[in-house]
Amino acid sequence: MNSTETLLEFFDCNTWIGRPMNLLPGRPNPPGCSAEYLISEMDKAGISKALVWHVAQRDSFPATGNDLLIEAIAGSERLVPCWTLLPPQTRELGDLDSFFGQAGKAGVKAFRVFPDIHRFLLRRTCMCELFDRMVVRRIPLILRVPGNVDWSGVYDLLSETPELTVILSNMGSWGSDRFFRPLIEDYPNVYIETSGYITDGGIEAFVESYGSQRLLFGTNFPEAYHGAMMLSIAHAEISHTDKEAIACGNLDRLLRRVKL
Amino acid sequence: MIANTPLAEFFWQHGRCDECPVIDMHGHMGPYSMIYFPRANAESMLHSMDQCGVRMLVFSHHTALNCPDIGNTLSIKAVREYPDRLRAYMVVHPSHPEMIEHDLATYDEYSDVYVGLKFFSSYWQIPWDAPVFESAWHFANERKLLVLGHTWGGSIYDGEAQVRKIASLYPNVRLILGHSLHGAWDEAVAIADEFPNLYLDLTSLTYVRGAVERFVAEGFSERILFGTDLPWFKPHQCIGALLSADITDDDRHNILHRNARQLLHGAGVDIH
Repeated sequence: MNSTETLLEFFDCNTWIGRPMNLLPGRPNPPGCSAEYLISEMDKAGISKALVWHVAQRDSFPATGNDLLIEAIAGSERLVPCWTLLPPQTRELGDLDSFFGQAGKAGVKAFRVFPDIHRFLLRRTCMCELFDRMVVRRIPLILRVPGNVDWSGVYDLLSETPELTVILSNMGSWGSDRFFRPLIEDYPNVYIETSGYITDGGIEAFVESYGSQRLLFGTNFPEAYHGAMMLSIAHAEISHTDKEAIACGNLDRLLRRVKL
Repeated sequence: MIANTPLAEFFWQHGRCDECPVIDMHGHMGPYSMIYFPRANAESMLHSMDQCGVRMLVFSHHTALNCPDIGNTLSIKAVREYPDRLRAYMVVHPSHPEMIEHDLATYDEYSDVYVGLKFFSSYWQIPWDAPVFESAWHFANERKLLVLGHTWGGSIYDGEAQVRKIASLYPNVRLILGHSLHGAWDEAVAIADEFPNLYLDLTSLTYVRGAVERFVAEGFSERILFGTDLPWFKPHQCIGALLSADITDDDRHNILHRNARQLLHGAGVDIH
């Protein structure tokens, strides 16, 4: 009996709302997920909180999606906003002081980038000023790898800005340990979001090698199911303390230290 | 606790359910060139199966798929070591046709091991209807064997057109569409509707929200099979997804064990 598993609190690091521009390739589910629907599904599954982004940030324009996100989740303390960035040289996000001020006021706790779709390079030449501010403010950057940036891009990014907090997300169903383990060993602020880390025994092997502090529970809802990674973590062969850390504690800690 | 159903609650509390002894119809075994697997040998796979309540796994060893020098040998060895928990598909490897003829000729020597054949055409880049496979399809058709074929939507090797052609030519084969023509959901439904001896496999579908609901809604609850690609995907990940899916516990029982039990009975394997 593992009755203590029922006591786990879950904080989903990877979920989105909104209506995608296109039907999701290879996905049969009706596209679109409102904040209300997300909350109702989180209630059904038993997920307390979620770090959420809006698909318009990716498909339409970051600032448009950032505004839509704040409007959609207004009043919900369970949904924590994640905004999307662009390189500052084109000033499409406005003055950076003002942008960071607005993000802070809106309760934003993490940023995403989509360098492939938004057509820029994830290098200091483009992102220096943003990354330096993120390092000082300890704001995590979430990257969908290899969906929106390839592994070489991630290696280059960390080589140039090793202090940046980076969450590697949606790593796909093909086990990626050979790609991400060297980054875990070299850069202490790199974290793994679990929705794509579905290799059998992967969580246990990771915890044995590196401890549980660098793993963050994520579901990739609404593209994937809430219960998949919940059951995996609840019954992983690791200590209950490690389960608590992965399910909620690590993300809570990361976001609490953000100074925005 | 994932969902408010008795089965979800039981799995959530215990991680396994004796009333729902899972049968995994699509697995592999052994290390692999492209991926690190922490639990790749038979013993560690059985450990995962025990942990997640998987009663039996039907698999093809990676070396049978990608190392003709070894072929099906390691599948045979593992099944004979763990006959109560494992069965294998005989891999029909096309690169060396003499091996196919040899393996088919000796198939009956391994009636305690094999439940059918396995095709992996997308990776071999040789289509299902290639002449090299003809004897194997005939063999399977005559014996009404199970055949698990990797399928993928749009593939010229094992996509919609190939499945339709082979299912028409060899109607006695009990054909399991590995990955259910991944991505081509409409075609998978249409083809399943057209060919009654065809089964839909959930391997790689449990991270795609909505596919299993679609199949069940189309009336295929009794023709869907559970699979994990073990040691690729954690069984709890796949079971947890099914527990979250918008289907009934009765559908889940069909998918997780009843349908496979019936198919394996037809292949001479009774699971107690």
